[in-house]
Amino acid sequence: MERRLVNLLVRGFLLFLLSMVLVFGFWEHRYFYQVGLYNLLLLGGLVTFLVLMGFRLALSGELPRGRPSGELTFSLEEGDRILRKAVDLTVHPAEGATLPKIGQVVRARYDTGREFGKLLVVDGTRKFLSDVTDEEARSAGYRSANELRTAASSQWKGKPGDLVALIRLRPVGART
Amino acid sequence: MIAYDIVVGAGTVVAAWLLALVALRSRRTWLKATYAALALTFIVNGAAYVGTTERFLSSDWESAVLWSMILAHPLTAILVLGLIHGETLPRRRPAIFLLLLAVPGLFVLTPSVDWAVRHAYEPNPLGAFLIVSLGIALAEPVYERLTSSLLATDSFWLSVGVVALIIGGPIYNYEFDILGFAQAAGSNLGMPIALAAFAYVAFHADPFPTPARPKTRKWSGTSGLPRRNAIVFDEERPAYALETARSEASQGRPVLIIARASLPPGPDSDGPAVGVMEPSRHGALKTLATGSEFVARHPGAVVAIPDVADVVMMSGWEPTKEMILRLRQVARDTKSTLVLSVWHLTEKERRELKGLPLVWWTLPDAAQEIEAVLAASFGSGARHLVSAFCRAKGLPRHEVTVEKVPALLEFLNRAIGELSGSLADAAANQGLRAQAHVAMESLQAFAARSPEDLSHGEWPSKTAAASDRELVVTAADYWKGKEVDELFGAAQGLQEKEPLYERTRDVFVEQFGDAGEGVLRSELAKLGRKPEELRPEDVARLADRAAVDLGAMADVVDIPQEKVRIRSQIDAIRRRLEAIAGDQS
Repeated sequence: MERRLVNLLVRGFLLFLLSMVLVFGFWEHRYFYQVGLYNLLLLGGLVTFLVLMGFRLALSGELPRGRPSGELTFSLEEGDRILRKAVDLTVHPAEGATLPKIGQVVRARYDTGREFGKLLVVDGTRKFLSDVTDEEARSAGYRSANELRTAASSQWKGKPGDLVALIRLRPVGART
Repeated sequence: MIAYDIVVGAGTVVAAWLLALVALRSRRTWLKATYAALALTFIVNGAAYVGTTERFLSSDWESAVLWSMILAHPLTAILVLGLIHGETLPRRRPAIFLLLLAVPGLFVLTPSVDWAVRHAYEPNPLGAFLIVSLGIALAEPVYERLTSSLLATDSFWLSVGVVALIIGGPIYNYEFDILGFAQAAGSNLGMPIALAAFAYVAFHADPFPTPARPKTRKWSGTSGLPRRNAIVFDEERPAYALETARSEASQGRPVLIIARASLPPGPDSDGPAVGVMEPSRHGALKTLATGSEFVARHPGAVVAIPDVADVVMMSGWEPTKEMILRLRQVARDTKSTLVLSVWHLTEKERRELKGLPLVWWTLPDAAQEIEAVLAASFGSGARHLVSAFCRAKGLPRHEVTVEKVPALLEFLNRAIGELSGSLADAAANQGLRAQAHVAMESLQAFAARSPEDLSHGEWPSKTAAASDRELVVTAADYWKGKEVDELFGAAQGLQEKEPLYERTRDVFVEQFGDAGEGVLRSELAKLGRKPEELRPEDVARLADRAAVDLGAMADVVDIPQEKVRIRSQIDAIRRRLEAIAGDQS
């Protein structure tokens, strides 16, 4: 409740600032009224539209990275570890999957279907499951590469020769 | 109107700052030069405009406003097209440079036919030239925005820059003229916005850091890889792709490998240059820029990407596909060769790549083929030989490539020497040596085969001749009925004969080059051991200590890709030392 109130206040203040900027712009360009109503409607309308669009994006919290697109699914345990920033790497099968690219913001979902946050993809590589190192496995929350391979085998029937994507993530917002 | 002059002056200062930024940070010589030409023209234009309007420059400088305004328009078109086509612009759109030819004529004619700066955008030849230049600069990004997945985002920003120039130029010129503020003619308020947008795009397409190519011996112009081509090396690991790149480099041909991590140093100083990819969502664009920039400087070069999937993970599949097609075009234009390794691509991506006009070489797994060559002489004993060789060298099987054939021959020589010592019969001995001789010749012949030759599909594993098998039977007869398998089982003990220090040193030298031996000796000193005193249990301790010490070294490195490279080296060293220690115990 308190967080919502703060959000509302911040957004309201920003909207007030925007209104002042627009009024200042009209005053500054008062001489432009001489170019005629239709020219003014077209050019002034375009500029005002762009300003409003820019603020709309800024207020929605989606700048500078854009809207989230795509999603990644995690088990309850793995999802919580990512949210707590206990791990920053996730290993997903690459074959037949739509993998996010670097800089993309994805929706993070538990395998139950519930969205739990947004994640920014910071880095990504591909490897054969057999080539994943112990260090990478530890970054993904496993004690060793062998444990990761065992988990992969039980979760998605991953074999050592399977291609996997190692995606480094950073939470950019939790869904509460 | 001092406020207007302040805005133009501030824009000029911003332009100077952007010019300094691009000049200092950009790694692309051609674009840097084009950007500098445009930014300088705008700076001269802004300074001359403010100076003459505010009267701290003489009226002679008014001509500078005129020529800089005329020159800025074709330069804008050239820069925008340069940001799209990169170093290939002179080949892809040579006509754009014709715009520059018109500038002196227009500059000379303008005062004499009374096209004053204030009438520049009106219907007259000068106005037509300026509008055509801006039109070209806008049309190309709009076209790319509609057709290209690789350049879609950047085309938007290029369009923003050009639209800013159009609003700040012709449109404001028209409006100010209506408002009776004719002095504004000749300046452009959109200039800093345009330069900022162009700089933004230029940094997106900035090449990955690439070390300067060391001076090597002159390239004769003839080498194994076909030129003007893009070749896909379809293999389980990028062994042939890297080996081919190194081989071309050793002949003096300029070679650039664009990879995620630095590669271990090669055996000679004529190695290829390595551009290390930095994680970026503009990875495909940066890879294209890195390759284009290199082949523009070294026509006829080889650009190798040992893992195309790295680019896919950074930028997505569609932009990567387009990047490959554009690099292929660059290679054709510059008589160069593009080498691609697709080992980490998914089946779907491979299928789509096969649909592109690329040369596709399907290559064998070297370890499997080496085993097949040995099997032709030694039957099932070949499996023992290869695994004994891997253990002796501390190599995983997938690292057995044709580069390892000389070491394998040496190993085979020793193995045969050991085995023949255990055979009392002279005829059996002679048979064994004859078989070994045949195997070695076959191995050398296999190692000498080019990837192009192998891509035809005639691999030892597929063409094991019946006559060879007969020879094995004959040799087995000589060996008094001993099973070949059983005989070569003895080869497994061979690694013990190799000095432990030498094997350990090989591991360090392979990862760190010549410096590796120094690193090993310092680690040994910390253990209080001399090289000749090294024991198997020390190797296990050495693996732990090296991991800790070198890990600390990786921690202080700030460059992420270097950190990754060092960590992968540490991992490889640890793995192999543990393998050696395991064998010895």
